[in-house]
Amino acid sequence: MNTTRRRAWPSLTLLGLAAAVSAPVLGNDADGAALAGLAADSGAATYAHICQGCHMPRGQGAVGAGRYPALAGNPALVSWQYVALTVLNGKNGMPAFGRQNKQGTSPAFLSVYLSDAQVAAVVNYVRTHFGNHWRSTATADQVAALPHP
Amino acid sequence: MDRDLPAASASRRDLLRMIGAGAGITAMHHAMSSLGVAGESPYRGPIDLQGAPPGASVLILGAGIAGLSAALELRNAGYQVQVLEFNTRPGGRTWTLRGGDSYTELGGFTQQCGFAKDQYINPGPWRIPHHHRGLLSYCKRLGVPLEPFVQINYNAYLHSSRAFGGKPRRYREIKADYQGYVAELLAKATRQNALDAAVSQEDRDRLLESLRDWGALDKNDAYAANEVSSNRRGYRREPGGGIGGRPLASSPDTRSEILDSRLWKALSRADAFDMQPSLFQPVGGMDQITAAFGRELAPVIRYGAKVVDIRQDDHGVSVLYEDTHAPGSRLKARADWCLCTIPLPILAQIPMNVGAALASAIAAVPYAASVKVGLQFNRRFWEEDEQIYGGITYTDMPISNIAYPNTGFHGGGKAVLLGAYIFGPSAMEFTAMTPQERIEKALDYGSQIHPQYRREFDNGIAVAWHRSPFTMGCFSAWSSEARERHYDDLCAIDGRIALAGEHVSFLNGWQEGAVTSALDAIGRLHQRATGQGARA
Repeated sequence: MNTTRRRAWPSLTLLGLAAAVSAPVLGNDADGAALAGLAADSGAATYAHICQGCHMPRGQGAVGAGRYPALAGNPALVSWQYVALTVLNGKNGMPAFGRQNKQGTSPAFLSVYLSDAQVAAVVNYVRTHFGNHWRSTATADQVAALPHP
Repeated sequence: MDRDLPAASASRRDLLRMIGAGAGITAMHHAMSSLGVAGESPYRGPIDLQGAPPGASVLILGAGIAGLSAALELRNAGYQVQVLEFNTRPGGRTWTLRGGDSYTELGGFTQQCGFAKDQYINPGPWRIPHHHRGLLSYCKRLGVPLEPFVQINYNAYLHSSRAFGGKPRRYREIKADYQGYVAELLAKATRQNALDAAVSQEDRDRLLESLRDWGALDKNDAYAANEVSSNRRGYRREPGGGIGGRPLASSPDTRSEILDSRLWKALSRADAFDMQPSLFQPVGGMDQITAAFGRELAPVIRYGAKVVDIRQDDHGVSVLYEDTHAPGSRLKARADWCLCTIPLPILAQIPMNVGAALASAIAAVPYAASVKVGLQFNRRFWEEDEQIYGGITYTDMPISNIAYPNTGFHGGGKAVLLGAYIFGPSAMEFTAMTPQERIEKALDYGSQIHPQYRREFDNGIAVAWHRSPFTMGCFSAWSSEARERHYDDLCAIDGRIALAGEHVSFLNGWQEGAVTSALDAIGRLHQRATGQGARA
């Protein structure tokens, strides 16, 4: 389901990424976009390039007309399954980041997918940073066994 | 003067690649249509709301395009209308940033806009297709002057970091070459009778004639460096007057260079229904529309009102809200009916007693990530050095678009262009940056197309829509699956509450979606109000 064309993107050097992120060619690409280039084991990189846009650099969340939940000190993070399911399937306007098993369910040019390994890594990252110290960890295989979009 | 031209032998494989490329674009447009991205406005003229029950009232949540158009019509129909708006201005995503404006995004990053007088960017909607009749009718009624929005500029660039050594090509060059080679191949196939019974002998001659015309082919049906093709793709030396006025033909890029560049992907953009010229922009910024609504509706709009609870009973709807200038305050508004235009990521978090179907629908729609960066430069180098007057350059770099001002041509002072307009993965990455980092990246990438960038840069401002306190995202990105399961529930009136906005439409991300959904919703609310009596 990963339809990324793996290739070198000069831009990513600027963004400090190790390898390729597939971006819409001319903003008009019907291919799915996967963040395959983020190292599978780097929850920190996935967090810094994707999650912190909303959940903020120190996991503190934010409040406006609505709110982005803080990850720091959030008791809901006790369950890695809950966190992983939220990343995979989205919630309340948050996009689903799980690889999609059904063709054409989302406007592809707007979508970003994470591999199960990336989901596991970022779940483990947020549960052990920002003052969180949850011991249990998720593996890619465990994430793969959860419901995906 | 001629470069080596590609051998004229057309292979079947080349032809199939060409046709395949076109088919891909068509397939994408079908996909986009099915997602509602390319739908037509159902606007059929001003709404007629006769016979509003005396004293009947409607509470409208949100003063964006949907809330404002609904408020205007309901007030004119005799309803008592009150509007609650989180921001301290009308418009919502219909918004313009100018010099002197301050914007604080979620996370607390504050930017001061340092643009010169009359310079601006529209962080949200920025173009109005000619068939968005609902929105255009309000522009006309409210006296908002319009000017052309340039969607296609043949002298703007198409750029790929992986083609032509990273050097941009002019739109006209790619268009002429792509079209020329497709015509050449198809003409060759036609002459070899490769199309078999698909074309009669008579049609064959007409087809060849049309291909020669459409592709700028020479008398041998070749696309080559000559006067005919240069009249499409531009000249090596342009025709002029007097001595030295004789034009010199340019040489097309090779067929495989054109195909492999994938720059042809940009050519179909303006063929999409909602990008076909004419398009418009309000003179002076998109917020001129909502400012006009705001003036008209000033007595009924309460700004700085953050909705925290929505509760309906048998007789009406009560809304609790916080005065954003008095954190923790609780104020109450009540009316017979409620039209709620609050964006779904926010509405999903507000306690509200509606049925399970509507509640599920509200929670089912993710919002697209999008980023715009406005950059002010000391001079209009794109006009002075490169003869680009308005329109859009497309690139495969993360900035995706560079859009030049469609107004103020030849203005002597500082000028603002749109230095990035991003969706998808790059939009998420830009959202995760600080505003200053976004501007720096926009300058880095843009410099690869316009080397003047760094020398002429003055100041910039960057808006990442997921950091917007009043929407938490750019627009509703319905999946086909969610649309199938939830869309009708999102449209249905739940007791005394109806929803409206671009998210309750097949025109997602367009103001016309907000207008037409609002008019549809108040039409149905009005039926209920008149059918069963507003104070039943």
